[in-house]
Amino acid sequence: MEQRPTLSAIAEKLARGLAVALALFVALAPFVILFLNSLRPSDEFLSDSAGLVPSHLTFEHYAEIFDPSGDTLRYVINSLIITSASTVLAVVFGALAAYALARLKLPFKLSMIIGVLFLVIRFYPKITVALPYFLLMRQFHLLDTHLAVIIAHVSLTVPFVVWLLLAFFEDFPRELEQSAMLDGCGPLRRFVLIVLPLTTPALAAAAVLTAFLSWNEFLMASSVAPNVATTLPVRISGFITDKGIEWGSMSAMSSVVVVPVALFALFTQRYLARGLTVGAVKG
Amino acid sequence: MERPSYGRSGWLGQFEARVGETGILLLFLVPSLVVVGFAQLYPLASSAYISFFDWTLSRSPVIGPFVGGANYARTFSDPVFAGSLLYTIAFALISTALQLVFGLAIALLTLGERLTLRLTRTLIMLPMVIAPVAVGTIWRMILSGRVGPLNRALAAIGIDGPDWLGNPNWARISLILIDAWEWTPFAVIILTAALTSLPSDVLRAASVDGAGRWKTLRYIVLPMILPVIMLVAMFRLIDGLLTLDIVFTTTAGGPGYATHTLSFWIYQQGLRYFNMSYAAAASWVLLLACVVVAAVFLVWRRRIMAWQVATRS
Repeated sequence: MEQRPTLSAIAEKLARGLAVALALFVALAPFVILFLNSLRPSDEFLSDSAGLVPSHLTFEHYAEIFDPSGDTLRYVINSLIITSASTVLAVVFGALAAYALARLKLPFKLSMIIGVLFLVIRFYPKITVALPYFLLMRQFHLLDTHLAVIIAHVSLTVPFVVWLLLAFFEDFPRELEQSAMLDGCGPLRRFVLIVLPLTTPALAAAAVLTAFLSWNEFLMASSVAPNVATTLPVRISGFITDKGIEWGSMSAMSSVVVVPVALFALFTQRYLARGLTVGAVKG
Repeated sequence: MERPSYGRSGWLGQFEARVGETGILLLFLVPSLVVVGFAQLYPLASSAYISFFDWTLSRSPVIGPFVGGANYARTFSDPVFAGSLLYTIAFALISTALQLVFGLAIALLTLGERLTLRLTRTLIMLPMVIAPVAVGTIWRMILSGRVGPLNRALAAIGIDGPDWLGNPNWARISLILIDAWEWTPFAVIILTAALTSLPSDVLRAASVDGAGRWKTLRYIVLPMILPVIMLVAMFRLIDGLLTLDIVFTTTAGGPGYATHTLSFWIYQQGLRYFNMSYAAAASWVLLLACVVVAAVFLVWRRRIMAWQVATRS
């Protein structure tokens, strides 16, 4: 009688471990395959005899996509410019608005209406906006500029930042602001000098989420910046319609998009999880 | 170090005194409202407007005559629209169901603060942080017919794998599985947070060995986290209805129209064929569908939460 529970406990532990290992394998194997393929010699892609691991590793695909005559470097720079500008603007704008909504006493529940408006933006099809936004940018002669993509990305992420930070600013102890207020300190300085320094983790969470969204965003970027201000995700989608698929360079280009983000995610995991959780569950 | 001044002196203090408390807070709202109004609300309204006119951008740079609901009527008599609508709904439902089942299972399996468990949760998050178009290229590679690694692995154990992305039905299934792969981590993160916030005696009861565990899970833990599960379901159902990116890099809607999601079809109509008014009408049909889904979920969730409060006391 003594043996049974321990045996089943061991069996269960084993089953649990196997299940977790399987989940990890399914989640991570595609990344490994992508990275290995980006180092695989071209002639191996269509051969039946090639194994999972390339026969020898080569950097030819990276050399090819980063060839000085090519445009990849420009796409990388475009993506970096657009992501960093969008992140800074979205967090600054969003933090200001969230603080205002948390402190303002507007009539007719106006604060709530604006708050809900920001939430609604998360839920409608972006394709509805993409077409008229394309026309709008055409009218302003902003097609294929960084600015067109940045404005689009800020407008997509600001609502999320507001929604996320609103919770933090509402919970922020007002006593901390009160004494400064008695000295005659207005909301601008209270916000910058007192509130912001104490809510940096929340700001970081908002920034991390915004950066991911902007770096990965495809629809808006592809509709207003197809040729010049092209971002990396838009470039990747081009590999499919090109005549035949160049597996090697496609893998290399995808790795350029995926690997930095994956590493960044591992280091900012705490903020990412917190941001997603607050953003989703608070509603 | 000089202490920052909180008083009314200085140009900042005078500025704040002149504009006043409410005035400054209202100014804080301006940048966000301007950007959102310019790049979201105005285009949204303008798309509603365009949807009642006849306009093909490739034929005319200016908007054509008013046609009433003709564009909307056209969407419902268009077999490709109907097909994509049907596929999109099936896609969202099946993918969301898979995400919830696997997400809950993984969240339960990796619950705890041990280093290995925390590390597992971190690593399992990766599929959702990378660009959806890259998710598409990765899986296109893995699923590619004869030489893809998946079919090779299947061949090694004696199974002749299907042409995942070339056969219409398998392509439809593949896209759903890819979406579930990408977004299950979202369910894991949110459900882990929900489970962690449960009272510790509930969790302990749920981790005790034996027959009581399933009952605890089924009758205590699940009902307690039901509002969160529904929230995840709502987010994922709506995002599922809007799926676009992965279609571009896996099947590009094919073979034929087999894997046209509604967003992809609208994208083709609008930004490829420049049927502005038709695409706008179709996108409003999609938008209204999303509104209905969100409303149903929020009302349902409110009922459940009210019921929880009522039964707890």
